[in-house]
Formats: sequence, C-alpha cells, structure tokens
Amino acid sequence: MTDSEHQMEAPSAPEPRRASRRSFFTGALGTGLAAATLAGRAVAQTTPAPSPSPSPSPSPSPSPTGTPTPGLSDVDILNFALNLEYLQANYYSYAIGSGALAATDISGTGTAGAASGGRAVSFGTETVIQAYAREIAADSLAQVRFLRGQLPSTAVIAQPAIDLSVSPTSAFSVAARRAGIIAGTGDSFDPYASVDNFLIGAFLFKDVAVTAYKGAAPLIFNKTFLESAAGIMATHAYHAATIRTLLYRRGQANAVLIPWTTGIAAARDALDGAPTEDLIRGIAPNDDQGVAKVSTPDGDRANIVPSNSNGITFSRTPTQVLNIVYLNAAAVTSGGFFPSGVNGTAKTSAASG
Amino acid sequence: MIKDSVFAALDLANQRRAERRRFIKLAAGSTAVAGSLALLSACGGSNDDSTSPSPTPSPSPTPTSTGVATDIGILQLALNLEYLEAQFYSIAVLGRPLPDASLTGSVGTRGAVTGGRSVGLTGTLAELAREIAYDEIAHVNALRSAITTAGGAALLINQPAINIDGGTNGAFTAAARAAGLVGATETFDPYANEQNFLLAAFLFEDVGVTAYKGASPLITSTTYLEAAAGILAAEAYHAGLIRSELFARGTAAQLAANKIAAARDTLDGTGTRDAGIAVVDSSGNPTGASNISAADGNGIAYSRSTAQVHNIVYLRRDAGIGGGFFPAGTNNSIEALRTSGATA
Repeated sequence: MTDSEHQMEAPSAPEPRRASRRSFFTGALGTGLAAATLAGRAVAQTTPAPSPSPSPSPSPSPSPTGTPTPGLSDVDILNFALNLEYLQANYYSYAIGSGALAATDISGTGTAGAASGGRAVSFGTETVIQAYAREIAADSLAQVRFLRGQLPSTAVIAQPAIDLSVSPTSAFSVAARRAGIIAGTGDSFDPYASVDNFLIGAFLFKDVAVTAYKGAAPLIFNKTFLESAAGIMATHAYHAATIRTLLYRRGQANAVLIPWTTGIAAARDALDGAPTEDLIRGIAPNDDQGVAKVSTPDGDRANIVPSNSNGITFSRTPTQVLNIVYLNAAAVTSGGFFPSGVNGTAKTSAASG
Repeated sequence: MIKDSVFAALDLANQRRAERRRFIKLAAGSTAVAGSLALLSACGGSNDDSTSPSPTPSPSPTPTSTGVATDIGILQLALNLEYLEAQFYSIAVLGRPLPDASLTGSVGTRGAVTGGRSVGLTGTLAELAREIAYDEIAHVNALRSAITTAGGAALLINQPAINIDGGTNGAFTAAARAAGLVGATETFDPYANEQNFLLAAFLFEDVGVTAYKGASPLITSTTYLEAAAGILAAEAYHAGLIRSELFARGTAAQLAANKIAAARDTLDGTGTRDAGIAVVDSSGNPTGASNISAADGNGIAYSRSTAQVHNIVYLRRDAGIGGGFFPAGTNNSIEALRTSGATA
C-alpha cells in the first residue's frame, strides 16, 4: 500500500458533514412533529404513472392492522430510545474500564442521575471478547451521541439515575433472581466478576434493544429518522448475535450458561405480558428466547435469532420495554435499572402482570 | 485496477473506523480531566473528519400508481434475495433445495438453481448454520404469504434463475476474483470447507441488512414495515453470527472477509456502505480490534438503494438487469426494482 495515498482519495468523495446533517435532522424532526400534530399520520404522497409491468394491476392492500397509537411524537420516541442507550453505553463503558459516560454526553432536561455501581471486567486472555466489548462500547456511545444530535437541544433528556451495581438488591441481582441464576435473597449477581457473567449481563439488554426499536418503527413519523432507527436496530442485532453466539459456544464448556439465557428470556417474557399473536408483525404472547438448541428433522439447530415461525424477530412497545428495565410487570414509573424512572414522556410501564 | 481500488476502499474504511475508535477511546479516557468545553470542541473536529454519517439518501425507485404497489414491489425484491439466500443455505447445510411449492408464482420467469452442494458441516457450526437455513426458508414462505395477502397470488413472483455454483463459471468465483480473494484464474468453492462456507454466507448477509434498511422508508404500510424490520433484524443477527465466527477464526479469515466487504463497497459505487470485520493497521495487518457491526461512525448500519443492492447481486457496476447470482435478473412487477445502477 505504498502509493495508495491518492487512490484513497477517490472513494473518500463527498460525504455529508455531520453538523449539517444534524441540523437537517433537527429541522426535519421539528417539521414532522408539527405535521403529525396538525394532520395526523401522513399517507403516501407520490403517485406517478405505473411503469408498464407484465403483472395485473395491484389490488388494494389490506388495511393496516389497528396499531394503537400511543400518542408519542418522534421526539418522545427518540428520547425513549436515548434512555436505553444511556443504560447500555454505561454498562459497556464500565466493563471495558472507561468508567461512566462523560458529563457532556449525558446532560439535558428532566431529572439527571448517575450511572453507578459498574466496574471493569478482567478479560485476561480473552482478547477476542475484549475486542467485542470495546467495539460495542464504542457503538453504544456513538448511538448516544447520535440520538442527542437529532433532538432539538432544548428537548434532549438528561441521563436518569441508572443502577449497574451488584448488591443483593441491585437491578442485576433482582433480574438474575427472576431468571433463576441466583436463588437466595442474600445472593447477588455480579456481571463484572467474569467474562461469562459479563456476557450474561450484555445478553440481558441486547435483545430488548432490538425489540424496542422494532416495536417503535411503525410509530415513527419521519422517514429519515425511521431509516436511522432501523440502522441502530441492526447494529444492536449484530451485537446481540455476537453475544448469543459466544454464549452458545461457551455453553458447550460451561453448561450453566445455556439455561441462564433461557431463564433470562423467560423472565423478560413474563415481565412484558402476553400480547395477541401477529405472525407478520412479529408480536406474540411468548416473545423471547434463550439460545438453547432446538430439535429439527435435520438435527439440532442453535437459537441465535429470537424469532417466530416466519423468521421475524419480535416487537415490544415502549411500555413493555419499561416493564423489563423496571423489572416490574405492573404499570409503574420507576424501578430496576432506572431507580428514579426514565426521563421523557414515555415513562410508565404497561400493566402486564 | 479493480484490485487496487478494492484495497484502497478497504484501507479507507478501516482507517475511518480506526480513527473513530481512537476518538471514542480518547473521549472516554479523558472524562476525568476534560473541561467540558475543551472536550466538546475536540470531539467536534475529530468527528467531522473521521466519521461517515450514513444515509446517502436512497434514491427511491420509480413509484407506481399507488403507494401500495411500491410496498408490493419492495416485498417482491426482498423475496428475490430470500430465494437466493434460502437456496444457498438449504443446499449447503440441509443438502436439498427448497420445494417447488415455495418457488413458483405468476410474475417473471421461473428459473433453475445452478450449482450448490452440501458442505457437510458438523458440530456446533452445523447447528448455527441450520438455524440460518431454517430462518431463510421461513422468510421465503413469510414473504410469499405477505405478497399473496397484500396483492393476490397474481403478484407472487417466480424464483428467478439463480447461480450459486462453486466452479470456474460460478458467481461465487466471479465475486471472489473481483475481491482478490483468489487469483484471476482460480476458483472459489463455498462448499469446499467451513471457512469458505462462512465467507460465502458473509457475502450475502450484510447485503440483506442494507437492502431492508434502505427499503424501510419506502414502505407505506406500517404492518409490512414492522414485518420488514423483523426480517432486517433477523438478517443482522445472522450477519453478526457469521462475522463473529469469522473474526474468531483469526487473521486469515479476517482479511478474507475484509476483502469481500471492500469488493461490495466498490461494486455499489462511491461512498462507504460497507465495512470489514477487522480493523487493520497501516501495513494492512489486523490490529486485534473487531468490527462486527457493519456500521458508520454513528453506530448505525448502512443503507443501500434497490439499485445498489442489484449492483452487488449482479456483480456489475453498470445499469442493467441480470448477472452474477441472478443471471436473468430478479423478478419484479416494477421494472425499476430489477435494475442495477450505473456506479462505475
């Protein structure tokens, strides 16, 4: 690659600068918000002539299923997602030894709180997993900054209080107890104590993020932000697969890991209630899965992708997501990983219990 | 020449990624010291230079008479990609093609599958691959059902001709030669061993992610949007699985995957829409840092337009219909959704 300098110029061509894109997004969001408020959800706007095609003319589509509109604006949804990203970004930042997020990354409106109780994981010779952890930490922080950059500066929420601690009454321990990972009320689960525990802690959040972005997709008004949200969802799914694949492989040697994932999935499933099944949209009463292998006529298969019989991953509404991070199946406004509740409009969990 | 530009693109992508990492590490490491203003301004400068904000706004395809028809065209496009992936995995992993009932429709020409054979996977990798095969078959059937529900059986597309051959004239060999994975006269056989199988799978999975993501803003029905988001996520899980498995195999596998990603990024035109799995240093050696998510500096996965997706599956940089993995083109009621872009 000695003389690659000018070759490298070519593909670097014009890329939108972050700053200008930000202002565009902010503007677009504001407009979207206004439009949504004034006129409700817009319909398709372009109706040029059909291109001649060999097929019969399209028949009318099925009417959209009755998605309950929870009355959340794009700003509300963005801020809701930001709460989840604050949580994950701090977990990985602590785990790789970088401590909590910097003050400039967490300021905003609402009740500010600290992300406390995390610490560095000793990865030892597990350098591949350490590399994954660093990558996920970097992506999570980038997502925090991206989401903050999309919001009008007066609307960005502050990071709420986040419990990442390891005492017997901590959120991790309560979750682990629900999952059957620990039993006694005096026991605690420490996700920083070992590489395996760190992966279990990561597993606890990752799939939830995928379901949260997917469930929010049909609620997002602005198409540009929709595409970005789909991209954040995809990044979470990439990482969720990494975590799940690692647990699946390491479960061959440390067999307890497999039932732990099953237990966590069952706990999440119990917390978020039992919505009516929709196989096309990916909504189901049983909407979570651990990594345990499944028997098929072709031999056992892994379960890296939590999905339904259509191979479609699951959706969770914001209120269902709050059931999980609050560790409470009832309609409440705080608890679990957010002891003072999340910031923003979408604050109350569903009555799922 | 092609090879040079492939390497150049790869270097660039990796350098960006590495810069982003350095920036983030720096920011995280300096939290205790940083005066907030100083940190902010430092971040601002570094950001603008090292990150590559994603959405190159996807050019929308020629819209049809109604928004509904666009939705169906997108579903049909997705079904073409799923036919390809499902046949590849089904034959490579389960040892059989999809049944005829899952392949016939009313739109376009019904084509055959050329090539493909069982890899003979065993152990844990076989279990992981079986899951993907089952998922992709499920996606074929789910999309067929969705199209039938939305537009009637008359809008169901036939499986087009598919080339998944591992021989000299196979699409995989053409792709591998373009990527510099094998020499100009060598063949690439995805069915020969585990690593080749993973690299072939890698070639498809990220494309699926970018295709669904790029199409997401074109879908007007919230029902199909949510379904597409669910398939997108499944493809990203698959891609994450494949990329993790390749990364864990070490530097040879990492460099091979990086070459494929760079080739895809060249095929679809200027701008970064792809990323390898391993960060490399200025000498081209992996640094040990991973890049499992094919994402930009904002931690957001890339988008491709429908034309750019076709550039990759047709293995061509000009506008047209057919080539590569779909020798006779994909099938679609909307002609524009069968066409690659002029990216050369």
